[in-house]
Amino acid sequence: MPWRETPEQLERARAERAIKVPAPDGELFGILTPAAGTPTVPWCAVHLTRPRSHRNRNWIEIARTLAARGITTFRFDYHGTGDSGGEGGYLNPNRPYQSDIGAVIDHLRGLGHQRFVLTGSCFDARTALSAFDHHAARIDGLLFVAAPVTSIDDQQRLLDQGKDWGHMWRALQNPENWRRLRDLDRWRHMANVLGRVAGRGTREDAPVTEGPPLDPLFRRNLDALARSSARALFLYGEDDPEFLGFQIALRELWSGFSDETRARLAVEVWPGIVHGGFTELTRQREIVARALEWLLDLAGHPAGAVHGADRPDPSRSAHHRPEGTWTSA
Amino acid sequence: MSVPRPSVTVPAPTSTETPFFLASGDRPVYAVYHAARRVRPGASAVVLCSSIGLEQLTCYRNEVLVARALAERGFPVLRYHPRGHGDSSGDFADVTVTSLIEDARAAGAALRARSGTSLLAWLGVRFGALAAAGAVAAEQGAALALWEPVQDPLAYFRAWLRGILFSSVSHGERPSTTVDELLATVVADGMVDVHGYSFHRALLDSTRETSLTGTLGAWSGPALLLQIQQRRSLAPAHDRFAASLRERGAQVATGLVNEEPGWHFLQNPAWESSEIVSQTVEWFDALA
Repeated sequence: MPWRETPEQLERARAERAIKVPAPDGELFGILTPAAGTPTVPWCAVHLTRPRSHRNRNWIEIARTLAARGITTFRFDYHGTGDSGGEGGYLNPNRPYQSDIGAVIDHLRGLGHQRFVLTGSCFDARTALSAFDHHAARIDGLLFVAAPVTSIDDQQRLLDQGKDWGHMWRALQNPENWRRLRDLDRWRHMANVLGRVAGRGTREDAPVTEGPPLDPLFRRNLDALARSSARALFLYGEDDPEFLGFQIALRELWSGFSDETRARLAVEVWPGIVHGGFTELTRQREIVARALEWLLDLAGHPAGAVHGADRPDPSRSAHHRPEGTWTSA
Repeated sequence: MSVPRPSVTVPAPTSTETPFFLASGDRPVYAVYHAARRVRPGASAVVLCSSIGLEQLTCYRNEVLVARALAERGFPVLRYHPRGHGDSSGDFADVTVTSLIEDARAAGAALRARSGTSLLAWLGVRFGALAAAGAVAAEQGAALALWEPVQDPLAYFRAWLRGILFSSVSHGERPSTTVDELLATVVADGMVDVHGYSFHRALLDSTRETSLTGTLGAWSGPALLLQIQQRRSLAPAHDRFAASLRERGAQVATGLVNEEPGWHFLQNPAWESSEIVSQTVEWFDALA
């Protein structure tokens, strides 16, 4: 069911403050949702998202739910997006807006918040992760949802490697693909895919390759996270194109982590998609529920419990994971 | 009086913009006040009424840019998130044409208080045209600018639902339902999922027997109708609407933005149209 605002969430909405954050590339506009009563955790949750409310106001719901349970939250527009100043441009996950999140952390510190938990999806997740470069000692947690970790071109190549004659047949029936053939680059792309499929035969014959390199910035930022004491949840869908690249990270990086680090940096892979899952209500609600569950668990709250009301219920710990989920925990 | 005309494409500083919450229906409504950056006697203050659902997001950056450009030329502007949208309170399930008009009027009152200007103008974007029309109906002579206005809400909702079917086709699937069946589901079940948004019965019901022309009541005044479509002439529906306004004595200007509209999808980078911004600003300039 879609979100219906509760009296507790409405009360937090009434308490919200609009804030402007000075930043190098343009003033950032954000909303601080103060915790109800005395904060129950030492950290402030910062939601990185575009636009600030996200599709169907997912992060508004999360922010006000957390605040009702004693957790202060902040959400903002990057420079050049939403209300913020500066010039807009293409948001490349491998070029995260590190200066924006840095400015937000510095500004919130000036308001008395000293520790942080960051959340984000895709570009936002990469930007949140980039904060570990300079602020790792102040970050207690990271919710990292379905972001690319290779170059976008390499991700496309990985995706094309998995295409078979069935994919080609479906693509030929899509009128949108025919329309896009007005673009010369699309012809090149189609020729590449066709060449790969024709040269390989069936999907089962696909060669196993080592894969393209991980983005160097991702490696560096992940290394900073690994060296910190923060907990993290990496959430992907097994059908996400972004998961193809993340599997390389699992193979090359996670395998080298200590048991302690692997325990802190949990990975969860859902059946179906997560990256594009916000466009479908059922999956969208699952992602929102899981995000809340993980954040409340990080805060020591029982999942789904009203602030200070319920006792922890271990049987609910996997409540919001869809059937068939693979988890490293 | 001659007014300097800075380029509309240069990003304006944000120091004169104030985000705040106003109240509508006893709920907090997020708004941004753009103070005029120069004194311009006779300039009206502009209330910007956004569209609904996904379009509230996809059209957003153009609204910010036009607000900055207008403020640069001496027009105070107020943008806001209707209840059930963005950072405002309220549920999307409760959004109706009536609630949208209430929000627009509350925004108008807040703008008068902040700007000290009694003369308001209204800018309605897509479905927000209905909110602007409902608000301007009580202000004879006030200016009204419209970006590709929704004139027939039912036709607009049918286009939403057709989007679901197109999405199925683009995934290589044969649609398992029809637009009429989806509309029947909204009536029977109370809602349908439209690309991650719930399309609710309350909104559908609120638009029955509603049209843009009817919502305007007896209003007459200066109007801008900006068409945003990939065509070189005014669409018949817009042509008829403009004619109906002229019949009631309105001074109607029309503009064509011949480009692919960006409200269907969230894009990277976000949709920005200098043509929409410049045509709108030039019309307000000429008006003042």
